[in-house]
Amino acid sequence: MHQTETVQDEVQSGAPAPRLGRAIVLTSGKGGVGKTTTTANLGTALAYRGARVVLVDADIGLRNLDIVLGLESRVKHHLLDVLEERASLDEALVPGKHSEFLFLLAAAQSREKDEVDTAKMKALISSLRERFDYVLIDCPAGIELGFRNAVAGADEAIVICTPEVAAVRDVDRVVGLLGNRFRPQLVINRLRPNLVKKGKMLSVEDVNAILRLPLLGVIADEPEIIVTTNRGEPLALRRETPTGAAYHAIAARVAGEDVPPPMPAAPKVTILERVGSLFGGRRA
Amino acid sequence: MPPLLLGERGVTLLRGRRDGLEVTLSPYDLAGGFAELQARLTEQPSFYRGSSAIVNFGAASPSSDDLSRLRDLLEGAGIALRGVAGFDEGLESLAEREGLAFESPRAELERRRAMRPREAARLSDAARSLVADFAGARDDIAQRRRRGEASVPRQQPDPPPARPAPALHAVEAPPTTLYHAATLRGGQVLHHTGNIVVVGDVNPGAELLATGDILVFGRLAGIAHAGAQGDDSARIYALDLAPTQLRIATSIAADAESKRRSTPVPEAAIARDGRIVVLALDRLGEVEDLGTTST
Amino acid sequence: MTARKIVLTSGKGGVGKTTTTANLGATLAKRGKRVILIDADIGLRNLDLVLGLEKRIVFDLVEVAEGRCQLRQALIKDKRFESLSILPAAQTREKDAISLQQFSAIVELAAEQADYVLIDCPAGIETGFRNAVGGATEAIVVTTPEVSAIRDADRVVGKIADEGKPIRLIVNRLRPEMVRSGDMLSVEDVCEVLAIELLGVVPDDEEVIDTTNRGEPIVLNDSSRLGAIYDKIARRLEGEIVPFTNFDGQGFFGRLIDALKAG
Repeated sequence: MHQTETVQDEVQSGAPAPRLGRAIVLTSGKGGVGKTTTTANLGTALAYRGARVVLVDADIGLRNLDIVLGLESRVKHHLLDVLEERASLDEALVPGKHSEFLFLLAAAQSREKDEVDTAKMKALISSLRERFDYVLIDCPAGIELGFRNAVAGADEAIVICTPEVAAVRDVDRVVGLLGNRFRPQLVINRLRPNLVKKGKMLSVEDVNAILRLPLLGVIADEPEIIVTTNRGEPLALRRETPTGAAYHAIAARVAGEDVPPPMPAAPKVTILERVGSLFGGRRA
Repeated sequence: MPPLLLGERGVTLLRGRRDGLEVTLSPYDLAGGFAELQARLTEQPSFYRGSSAIVNFGAASPSSDDLSRLRDLLEGAGIALRGVAGFDEGLESLAEREGLAFESPRAELERRRAMRPREAARLSDAARSLVADFAGARDDIAQRRRRGEASVPRQQPDPPPARPAPALHAVEAPPTTLYHAATLRGGQVLHHTGNIVVVGDVNPGAELLATGDILVFGRLAGIAHAGAQGDDSARIYALDLAPTQLRIATSIAADAESKRRSTPVPEAAIARDGRIVVLALDRLGEVEDLGTTST
Repeated sequence: MTARKIVLTSGKGGVGKTTTTANLGATLAKRGKRVILIDADIGLRNLDLVLGLEKRIVFDLVEVAEGRCQLRQALIKDKRFESLSILPAAQTREKDAISLQQFSAIVELAAEQADYVLIDCPAGIETGFRNAVGGATEAIVVTTPEVSAIRDADRVVGKIADEGKPIRLIVNRLRPEMVRSGDMLSVEDVCEVLAIELLGVVPDDEEVIDTTNRGEPIVLNDSSRLGAIYDKIARRLEGEIVPFTNFDGQGFFGRLIDALKAG
């Protein structure tokens, strides 16, 4: 792992210093909230912007990222092959179908999560950071070893939550487990605005009243999403759709751009919410 | 290795089996267990004479000296030590060396399952000895709220323990206060001998346990247990009291309402006549006779 | 006679295991069976939430295992269903807080006082899954008609089949209109891949999210459509032969009746 050079060096050498990529784990605790779909779409959107992106499927034994990207027939080697040195990274990385900047490192299907060595996983993520601008790690459901390994190599986290009490509870647990090393950002998935209006679904404010995390974006539920997942064509490929656009907006925010609404209106800041965010140590 | 299901702490059991006696010792306190066994055998000196016994050590690791002492102890009452049982890895080989039979815990488990436990397990923590039954409690709470009271009836424990409750021991050191300046997330716990102050929220799924008072400068949505060693003058305060459950000493209460109020009012929960009463802070002064000076 | 011990599992998270466990358990209780539901998802417990019983938790699974309380003290009786109780998981512990042996022992204890013990399995295939499956003698695999869910279910079926336990399938969240437009796999497709006996098909229903959030299992409403479907599933579980609901007149019966005959 090489040191990041200082700005001083950059000015002197005249060439841009190579930056270490960002390693972001996407997690949720609860399964089925859309971690894998979000990883695939966010990766696609970031690659569209010209960033070099690698998606790592850390769900050993239950791999799915390859399906969502339509790459399942192209996977020749997987994560464990690389960790156990049976294949090189170059042999294992699968180029995305739609972008020259996007690559996949698939999980192993017939192995177990306890076969992953945490230290080796961290080392692998480090070396991926040297080659890519973004390393997105798709975390398995739960909070067991698989989760811990996925988190080990990352230095940023995005948590994904659906507007359901069980999901909120699980995400809260995960945020607690992620601890002080991370300042997770939140993506709310599968919102159904008509149900929220009828009072039959939690609103964004309801969710974030408990989670109190900086909001990266909100994805409304659409049948299209299931279709495109089954077909292996992430919706982010179609920027003109509302969902595609939403993912691109999220990508822009991840990249540090200050993207203006349409974002859900900021929740009313009551005295308690101010207290909570102040003392929770989170700044906007 | 955690103790087996239905393990009983600090109590020595003597049970008759078809093939002799079975003695179960507390895995946490072998010496105490031996002493208790000795006492029991002395009570009825000739009752067991002539029988043989299997001694179950649970998770403990007895040494061969222990086994000798045990043998002597038993022989004094005319009981032959026939074998041992337990989880400890070295136990089986120790048994072999001493010429004793060894029983695997699984056989033990099956035998236990076939027997009904005769005594209620004694709970280790007096503050948790109740089973909350909320029959009618929600309606009741709603009615009381409407009348302007905010109290919850405390239900009787079921059934009352046969032996007297274990003595509560006073906390010797002056109580300290744990100050936690962050939100507690689901699954996180703070246990403290003394008071707890949280500046931030306590989310559903989080737990606070204090022998003294609890103060949450934020929203309390998880579980809070104040006066956990039996001090029913302990109090729970919060800027927004919307807990999953409140416990003060041996009382447990849950809120009938599940909706968050739009303008939360700071409140305190106190125990009064065996119930938990929730009051707006400005009404606290009206409550007489709390037994302790206000802190 | 001891109870049937059934684990509900899926591999993939979020397909509706917990909701199914709650509703199936409630339905069996409505039919007069004594049912105990056990939440095996230590650290991420949700069964209590889905049933609206979270405020009544005093003791949990791990405390029973550690001998700090009796099983009967930890069981929470659901007031709405005569013979339904749940044993909640622990929230502040990890899945290795309990061993397979301890979990099985507790399941056995529960089985002595019930007709059905339903175990809500955590997502994934790690320790939590292994403990939950180990304590059961039968399995129900829940999946949605989506490729990734089916793939995960297949992995799980493989693992359980190795232990020789009977496995049956519930297909959850079917959207007939999407099947018709070719955008979602059909029940036949799912059965083809998984090749296990079909126990039931549950259509997607908006109401489920709301009722789950409010802690009221949808089968509380006697006239709900899903209530009727869970009732059929309960009857099949009891051994009755019940025809499958024809969701859209699509030649649905052929293979499924074979499946029934097969098992």
